Amino acid sequence: MTTLSPPRPAVHPPPRYRRPLGLARESWLHYGVLLLLAVLVLAPVVPTLYQSFLDRPLYEAGGILSVDNYVRLFTEAGFGRVVLNTALFAGLTTLLSLLIAVPMAVVVVRTKLPGGRLFAAAMQWPFFISSLILGFGWITIYGPAGFVSVEVRRMLGFLPWNLYSIPGMAVTEAVALAPIVYTFCANALRQSDASLEAAAQVCGAGPLRILRSVILPMLRPPIVYSSILVISMSVETLSVPLLFGQPVGIDVFSTFLYRNGLQSISPDYGVLGAASAIILLVTVSLVALQAKLLKNAQRFVSVRGKATRPRRLDLGWLKWVSVAAIACYVVLGALVPIGGLVFRSFTLVFTPLQSPFRTLTGANYERIFTYPVYVQSIVNSLLVAAIGAVLVSGLSLLAVMVARRSDFRFARAVEYLALAPQAMPGIIVGIGLFWALAFAPFGLGTLVQGTLWALIIGFGLRALPSGFGSISPSIMQIGRELDNAARVSGADWVRTFTRILAALLRPAFAGALILTFVTLLKEYSPAVFLGSADSNIIGTTMLELWVQGNTGSVAALASLQIAITATFVGLAGLLLKGRNDA
Amino acid sequence: MPEVKVSRLSKQFGDNAVLRDITFTIADGEFFTLLGPSGCGKSTTLACIAGLERPTSGSIAVGPATFVDSGTFVPPEGRNLGMVFQSYALWPHLTVAQNLAMPLRIRKVDRRRQDELITESLAKVGLAELKNRYPHQLSGGQQQRVALARALVYSPSVLLLDEPLSNLDAQLREQARAWLKRLQAELGITTVYVTHDQEEALALSDRIAVMSEGDMVQIGTPKEIYETPATARVAAFVGRCNFLTGTVTGQAEVRLDCTGQTLAVLPGAAGDGRRVSVAIRPERLEILPEGRTAPAGVNVLTAQVLTGSYIGSRYEYDLRLGDHVIQVESNRAGLTGEVTLLADPSACLVYPTTDVLPEDAEALLTVSH
Ligand SMILES: Nc1ncnc2c1ncn2[C@@H]1O[C@H](COP(=O)(O)OP(=O)(O)OP(=O)(O)O)[C@@H](O)[C@H]1O
Ligand SMILES: [Mg+2]
Repeated sequence: MTTLSPPRPAVHPPPRYRRPLGLARESWLHYGVLLLLAVLVLAPVVPTLYQSFLDRPLYEAGGILSVDNYVRLFTEAGFGRVVLNTALFAGLTTLLSLLIAVPMAVVVVRTKLPGGRLFAAAMQWPFFISSLILGFGWITIYGPAGFVSVEVRRMLGFLPWNLYSIPGMAVTEAVALAPIVYTFCANALRQSDASLEAAAQVCGAGPLRILRSVILPMLRPPIVYSSILVISMSVETLSVPLLFGQPVGIDVFSTFLYRNGLQSISPDYGVLGAASAIILLVTVSLVALQAKLLKNAQRFVSVRGKATRPRRLDLGWLKWVSVAAIACYVVLGALVPIGGLVFRSFTLVFTPLQSPFRTLTGANYERIFTYPVYVQSIVNSLLVAAIGAVLVSGLSLLAVMVARRSDFRFARAVEYLALAPQAMPGIIVGIGLFWALAFAPFGLGTLVQGTLWALIIGFGLRALPSGFGSISPSIMQIGRELDNAARVSGADWVRTFTRILAALLRPAFAGALILTFVTLLKEYSPAVFLGSADSNIIGTTMLELWVQGNTGSVAALASLQIAITATFVGLAGLLLKGRNDA
Repeated sequence: MPEVKVSRLSKQFGDNAVLRDITFTIADGEFFTLLGPSGCGKSTTLACIAGLERPTSGSIAVGPATFVDSGTFVPPEGRNLGMVFQSYALWPHLTVAQNLAMPLRIRKVDRRRQDELITESLAKVGLAELKNRYPHQLSGGQQQRVALARALVYSPSVLLLDEPLSNLDAQLREQARAWLKRLQAELGITTVYVTHDQEEALALSDRIAVMSEGDMVQIGTPKEIYETPATARVAAFVGRCNFLTGTVTGQAEVRLDCTGQTLAVLPGAAGDGRRVSVAIRPERLEILPEGRTAPAGVNVLTAQVLTGSYIGSRYEYDLRLGDHVIQVESNRAGLTGEVTLLADPSACLVYPTTDVLPEDAEALLTVSH
């Protein structure tokens, strides 16, 4: 190349960025995020798999690899029965939640329904209430000695239901999971084209016929998808099976692990590992199936810019039946049990045999606030939720940036890793991390084991997919040309993020903070293995008090947790709104 | 301002070859346009120059600096180029002044100098008084000028523009075009401009590169591109063109299929018996006024007027020539019936291909009896 005129030096040359060891600084960041996620996700999984093939606890020397544990799992430990129970429980739960939610979605979204908006809003309730608390509530009202049960038994002479059974567990779990099915179906119904229905109407089809031949086929994808989601969630849930099944000896996956890991005097780690490995296999396949279906479904969804407002059908007298049915679900399923539990927290005795107003008291709360351990557990919960929310949201933001906005070679892997904990039941995260910490090098394990940090890691891992999922759509709405403009103007990847994207993503980050805070506040299942006397949180304390028969204090703690969540969400909402208005 | 050298540039997305072996050199201070239909790879070429895409192979150099070569890749932030995007890409949370300040802050220019440069740059685009507005408070035309000011504020070595006028309405676009041309000439900055609008390309450019499906088909001045298109495709894309199929019968003669008549064409066409297309621009066909005789050495064609339309400055006629419809531009009104057309041999370009137009367009231009 021959340049005749000497090149003019740039008047304002672009900055030079440091390249430690010859790698651009964004590469360090990308690999760092990948590595951190990989360690976090693999930490509970690898020791579990390893333990499942080991003939002794993995921290003991001289272990020999064999499949012995799997054999013993099905012969001595009676895991076959557990598999069957789990399948029955998950199947029934799924069926019931479809029965509750699908008609409800159709009626609320597609027909003229008095109070439709109120019902739609009411379906948000599980955001505020953990399934552990719902379980307490149901027992308080419908359990063998529950408020309603006693009354019904007095009138009929017998109790026509038994909450402490697989159907009983399934009904409660279905009430808790129905809102998920509802959300998917309602979204699909809102997006679908109203002109189909209009066409059917013009052809003279009546409302019921339209429902059957036009609307229901549209619902097939969300039904299939949400069914799988519900199956995988009921396979991993701990709360309801623990409260309802444990006292009568009905074991499902999670309670099997709970009983064998915690309640036996000398836990058989091999069997525990083998069971965990099998359960992981089930949940991972379910989540993989789910991801595949969702991908296919998205190809068929055609969102036409501004959605056409669906025409609402008039059901005539049937609408009053629908209102009654939905009210029944909301009131009997959620309002009465939760309301009852809150009420319970203010009385000494809670039974229809004696007016509970006669024993109104603050003693349940007093007990909690006089014992430092109980106060500590509330403080611990808040600490875990607050620190965890910041860390998880930060990590989610980084993961989204790398997965969606970089040319990193392993961007895809980062996304999969961030979403992987979806497939990890809380109790397995607990067991796996427990082993990982026992195994960790440099005595790191003993430093973390039993502290709040262990809980923050475990809970945070579980909340990571929600964090990722809540930030990811926002970044897709920010045009890529905004990044490109910054890059051409002289900002490297890191600076593009700090100077441009971070500001644009602030609302999404705030949303993720709120979501993960609430999620972490409700979480407890990893803590049954990871916690210690010093690191009790509201959830584990409630379980402890429950076992002691101290139901009044359980009700008080549950009410406090609900109050904290509601206050936090309310304040956060006000704060965000204020900022947006300004 | 340095020259831009792109050689043997290729880009593949998976199996899809979007750019194939593209080579061109842009001279210092030149206004160079990449022109081509949608999807032909113009934006990809520009993105490769900017560093936003990594070419599969090839090299890119600006002045003495090599940006891309085997083993070398300078990221976009290291290239000191200015770029205006189709969507303008103004950062929505920053005011106009802050948008312009960002590249300067990144370059650690001191505060006082920043203010001077911003004021100067905004004055260039005539928007000095809108400094404190946010992008959403500006009209499309103003946003486009702010984007340009932001791309110029740090005196980049080359200016890259990706269809910057396509979001403006027709009238504004014409004004903006003239303004942009003046500004570029004033600054003398080497400019690469991407557009699919041939009129825009002809009006603005010093030189045009016509692209088609990832290939660079022709590079030349607007006059060369328009008057001597290298291929039938270029002729069809740049300006309008009548295509008449025929067979070569002599050194500079083609017998037309539609009338059987022999046409004198530019010499040097393909050999005897070859199938060719004769391309004639509508404005190069002249309608002979009645009572005059045709000059010697000019092709004479007889055609019937089908329809005529008034398009403002001129009239446009659809004529039937044998079984073919051709278009002619003229400033004479109200022609009907049979007319005589004159076509200078130099206006008859010959291309060795017969399938120039897509089939359905061909069907529209064929008259059945
Ligand atoms: N990231 C990508 N992955 C796969 N294919 C791509 C990608 N980006 C561009 N292409 C393909 O490359 C081809 C050229 O794209 P390019 O954007 O350069 O076209 P263009 O000439 O700028 O078109 P337009 O005038 O519509 O902007 C297109 O066929 C496009 O589908
Ligand atoms: Mg383009």
